[in-house]
Amino acid sequence: MAYSEKVIEHYNNPRNVGSLDKADPNVGTGLVGAPECGDVMKLQMKVNPTTRVIEEAKFKTFGCGSAIASSSLATEWVKGKTVEEALAIKNTDIVRELALPPVKIHCSVLAEDAIKAALGDWKKKQGEPEAAKTVEAASAH
Amino acid sequence: MPLSQPQTKRAEGVPVTSCWNCKGAVSGTHFCGACGKIQPLPAGMDYFAFFGLPRKLTIEPAALDGQFHMLSWKLHPDNFVRASEFERNLSLQRSSELNDAYRTLREPLSRVEYLLEFLNVRKEGTTKQQAPPELLEEVFELNEWLDELRETRTSGGEVALLRGRLDAAAGNFQAKLTEVDAELAALGAQWDAALDSGADEAKRTALLTRMSEVLNRRSYIRNLVDGVQQEIAAA
Repeated sequence: MAYSEKVIEHYNNPRNVGSLDKADPNVGTGLVGAPECGDVMKLQMKVNPTTRVIEEAKFKTFGCGSAIASSSLATEWVKGKTVEEALAIKNTDIVRELALPPVKIHCSVLAEDAIKAALGDWKKKQGEPEAAKTVEAASAH
Repeated sequence: MPLSQPQTKRAEGVPVTSCWNCKGAVSGTHFCGACGKIQPLPAGMDYFAFFGLPRKLTIEPAALDGQFHMLSWKLHPDNFVRASEFERNLSLQRSSELNDAYRTLREPLSRVEYLLEFLNVRKEGTTKQQAPPELLEEVFELNEWLDELRETRTSGGEVALLRGRLDAAAGNFQAKLTEVDAELAALGAQWDAALDSGADEAKRTALLTRMSEVLNRRSYIRNLVDGVQQEIAAA
């Protein structure tokens, strides 16, 4: 299958690969997976508790090129955004930016889930109530 | 789709159609009761009804084999060499449908997948596929080891230790697969019991949903075990 140029670019030069200290109270970790393809994605964000700005984001993804590109793009996008802005990122934004074909849409869903999971974890650590789980992935298919 | 009440006499999902030849009523049989002509597959007929079976997940292999052999003999194109072109085509078509139905129902796994698919519980690409959260940590760790194994292999390092660790992990996931299969079999038995007792739709839907979840888990673990075994073989 042909990948778009942007996917290949992210795949060859993934941004922000690595990990942050899971024990840091300002670091939120999101670990998500998709059973059909076996992809697993770990997304971590360091958030400034005063400004609520995401200062650092790292990822490690085991999966296809589109999954890697989706998570790489997600880390780029969330950096410098506030928690609320990052939570507003939709998988469809990722699909558009990377020109993902329909069979790869689940990769972008995974990335959106990972952002939400990581920020949910951060909120929990900060003693904030986790937002109601918004799982509306079916609409993306 | 509403689930029709289970019936004892006739299998579910058998619509009544009229014979293309004599216009007589035909219900769930492959041949018209009045004129004996071969019939096209009635729209909406499922594979269970094809063999005159209820939609149960426990199927006696010998009974299915018997039905299959009887039907393949009856529908066989050799019986229609002197029939009209329409009937010859029907015989070819019906024989191929019979093979599909038999292959699908013979294996317990494809049987339950099929049941969920035609009851619209499980559809490729539309169900949210979520990895078992309790396994994600282990899966991630496993993938890190696999990465390490690949790197060590490329650099010509010693892979024995990593292989041993991966072997153990693969064995661990294999054991989980066995657990999942047992869970699926137990749910299948509950489904059959629910049909027998005429359980309401809510209860049946709940069972179907749980089966679908277990299948998601199963396919996840299956992919994982396959992947690890491939890597170990290559190392």
